[in-house]
Amino acid sequence: MRNKQYSVKVFETTLTDEDQFISFFNTNYNLFKDYLIVIHGDISQKIQEYLQEKELRFVNNIILPKSQGRKAVEEEIAVQKEQQQQVENELLKLSDRLHNNLKVQDTLVRSGQELTIDGDLLLLNRVNSGATIIANGNLIVTQLVEGSIRCFGNFMMLKASPKANIVFHDVVVDNSLLKERLNRVELKDNEIRITPVLKETTWVM
Amino acid sequence: MGNVIAVISGKGGVGKTTTTANIGLGIALNNKRCVVVDFDIGQRNLDMILGLENRVVYDIVQVMDGEASLSQALIKSKMNDKLYFLAASQTKDKTALQSEKISKLIESLREDFDYIILDAPAGIESGYEHTIEFADAAIIVVNPEVSSIRDADRAIGILDSKSQKVKDGAEVAKYLIINRIDAKMVQSGEMLSSSDILDILGINLLGKVPEDKGIIDASNQGKPIILNPNSAAGQAYKRIASRLCGEDIDMPELETVQGSFLQKIKGIFK
Repeated sequence: MRNKQYSVKVFETTLTDEDQFISFFNTNYNLFKDYLIVIHGDISQKIQEYLQEKELRFVNNIILPKSQGRKAVEEEIAVQKEQQQQVENELLKLSDRLHNNLKVQDTLVRSGQELTIDGDLLLLNRVNSGATIIANGNLIVTQLVEGSIRCFGNFMMLKASPKANIVFHDVVVDNSLLKERLNRVELKDNEIRITPVLKETTWVM
Repeated sequence: MGNVIAVISGKGGVGKTTTTANIGLGIALNNKRCVVVDFDIGQRNLDMILGLENRVVYDIVQVMDGEASLSQALIKSKMNDKLYFLAASQTKDKTALQSEKISKLIESLREDFDYIILDAPAGIESGYEHTIEFADAAIIVVNPEVSSIRDADRAIGILDSKSQKVKDGAEVAKYLIINRIDAKMVQSGEMLSSSDILDILGINLLGKVPEDKGIIDASNQGKPIILNPNSAAGQAYKRIASRLCGEDIDMPELETVQGSFLQKIKGIFK
């Protein structure tokens, strides 16, 4: 295979008025005779004959690949760098959240109270009927829940709570699926999975 | 310096006013100076239950507005000379209450009395918020049923966020009274048991009061049931008042039926 690379001078024009086109090329013929002419629009018989007669090389209705100037390339690199920095910041923030943004509360959440948490929440007391908890991170409640819960984290850990209203990532969780002392509710492959973690203690009679 | 205790419930009709009257009288019977204040502006009832209906001349709003002095408005009880009563206004409404005026009134009551019992209105509106605003402690009255418990839970939440003591960084003491317990219904599982209620509300139990038909007659007569030595509810209120006065009194079990011979035999085979 033999390859050659050229830089070609191109004159790009849009054809609307034929007479205007011909007169323009007549006057500027010396300037454009070495150019590749790119014509947008339909070329009639008349124009084609004219171009052949003048031995002008042309292509019709072609979108040309344009190489970027040095400045544009530099700009693109800067944008890429900035995006990478943003991703790194996001990751930093996330790891920060995992280590420092755990809120631990041991007081009970009463009717009418609404608790909104940005990070993770470990609640060591009850959520009473009429109370609401909204956790944007992960949520663990070790006692009975009778109020409503909205969780947007990776997982929830809940006790069997038949009276609770539980919504995980905008999906209502069926209470009857939470059976044990502590159950893990998580999102895996776009599917909500519930697995028992701590079994209910049963005493030998 | 007197102790200010608000009697609250959230839900209406659970026995706040009856409890207030009986506890007030019980404290007075323990030889402590006590005043019961009706904060249910516009719907006063405490005067009738204490049998002081015809003695009310000036009310709490008139005292706060300076139209009457405190000593003019305080009514001494016919039943005990340590017990005083301050009536609510029947013509005004809740908007008549203002924080600064309430604070001033409560401060002057603190100087004269050992216990100041405030009877809160039902609900959680401004009237309720003003009642709990300057209280040192609250007695929460509930019935063993879910709506009463949930309303009480809400009322406690507001108490924990809006009272002056909490704003100052302290904590309001909270005591629970479970009223109108029907032992038979608790045993058959139709009524919530005390331990369930305590789990839900997470506060200390001050006392349990059994259902007693005699309370209606006592209220109609204006003689609080605590004066009736044969009433189980009256005795329960007596114990509660003594506990408030600092005595350590056992809590008798009210949730098991003191049954007949036949029931005891049934119990064996359960």
